[in-house]
Amino acid sequence: MNLHIAATDRTPEISLTYQPLKLLIQGESFPEDVSAFYGQVINAINSLQTQAKGELQVEMAMIYINSSSIKAMYRIFEGLDAYRKAGNQVEVVWKAEEDDDIMQELGEDFKDRFQELIFSIIQHG
Amino acid sequence: MAEVVFDLYDREKLLLAEGQAILDNGDSLAIRQFAERLFDRFSKLVRENEDLTRHSDRQEQRLVKLNRNLKTQTLELEQQRSRLEGLSNQLAKYLPPQIHDALFAGKYDTQITTQRKKLTVFFSDIKDFTRTAESLQPEALTEYLNEYFSEMTQIALSYGATIDKYIGDAVMLFFGDPESKGVREDARACVSMALEMQEQMLVLQRRWLERGFENPFVIRIGINTGYCNVGNFGSEQRLSYTIIGGEVNVAQRLEASSDPGGILISYDTFVHVDDLVEVEERQAVNLKGIDRSIKTYAVKGRKSEADKPLRLSHAQGVYIDLSPKSLSSQDCLLIAEQLKSLARQLEDLQAEQLSLSKELIG
Repeated sequence: MNLHIAATDRTPEISLTYQPLKLLIQGESFPEDVSAFYGQVINAINSLQTQAKGELQVEMAMIYINSSSIKAMYRIFEGLDAYRKAGNQVEVVWKAEEDDDIMQELGEDFKDRFQELIFSIIQHG
Repeated sequence: MAEVVFDLYDREKLLLAEGQAILDNGDSLAIRQFAERLFDRFSKLVRENEDLTRHSDRQEQRLVKLNRNLKTQTLELEQQRSRLEGLSNQLAKYLPPQIHDALFAGKYDTQITTQRKKLTVFFSDIKDFTRTAESLQPEALTEYLNEYFSEMTQIALSYGATIDKYIGDAVMLFFGDPESKGVREDARACVSMALEMQEQMLVLQRRWLERGFENPFVIRIGINTGYCNVGNFGSEQRLSYTIIGGEVNVAQRLEASSDPGGILISYDTFVHVDDLVEVEERQAVNLKGIDRSIKTYAVKGRKSEADKPLRLSHAQGVYIDLSPKSLSSQDCLLIAEQLKSLARQLEDLQAEQLSLSKELIG
């Protein structure tokens, strides 16, 4: 089932579509209740293993992300990695603003932790 | 069905609960299997923790940097503000306060624009200034002049005058722009101000005499009301907020014709202050470029309350203008009785109208 969460001043826009199979997370992330906000996203990604098949395109473009949201991102990446382990290709594009070294380095950290995913980091102006 | 609450640390908490049960049970195989899963989870947690801590450090570092920049910028802004404030205070001494305030509030337009407005223009200068100045030491001259200008300026500002300029020993100011209370009130404020200035000059003269200033300054004042061009005159590079026009020259000419220590006003000013001041009509003056003879009046002082005309007017056709000086005691009584009778009739009329409207509503 498709998922779409509109952006707020504290939470990013999140969308997961099946046709095409694509996940997008972009914006700022410092929700008041991280578990409540990301729980639905993590559950949706975990259910991909049983409900989807084929290549998954992932685009992430974060501007600011707090530590609790990073913990949630780990769960998302674990879900993506589980989908890969189920025999699917997962391609992640991590976008960071040109002058934002913090977001670039965070992308590097995820890339380093989930080495089996096809992971590229792109700088944009 | 109750909504399942998601917990980011659900797996860790589950492991802890499970571990407690296995430890209590004491089954060595179960403990070993549990230890393996615990090790796996713990390894992941350690990695996550490393990443999170590093990320947190980076964020802190950025915050510290931003905070430092902010502090530097705040300091620079404060220094700039302080410099601007100093500059503003210095400029305030050179500009009319209304213009200065409008400029610094960003409300003043520095375009070369002028407009025609009815203003009350004031001129004053010190009688025999050149001769008096020559008899004084420069230091003393500066001291007395500064004292004179300070006191006059203070009075002028308290009446809301726009100080146009100081020309040597002369002062030129006006009422009616950039702020105006109406032509009549502007003229009255100007004449009241002039009276206070001459009163203050008497105080200054006594003070100066005591300090050895033998022939203290005496000033002449001329006031005229009329249409002038007011606004920014000059070029794009250098502007002067001032007034020009024939009526300005009239004020200057009146000042030259005024008695030392006196105030000479034109008829156009007089009509606005006739109930305010005692005057003495003086010789009319003629000026080049002004095609009328200007009637002049020397101001002799404020009118007492008893001399003020008794006035009453209403749009419905009531107009009463009584001059107390021309009324005898008998006149006063007679008019008072007539007015009382009229007042009673008006009250009866009003009561009648009120009861009629109540009946209609009822």
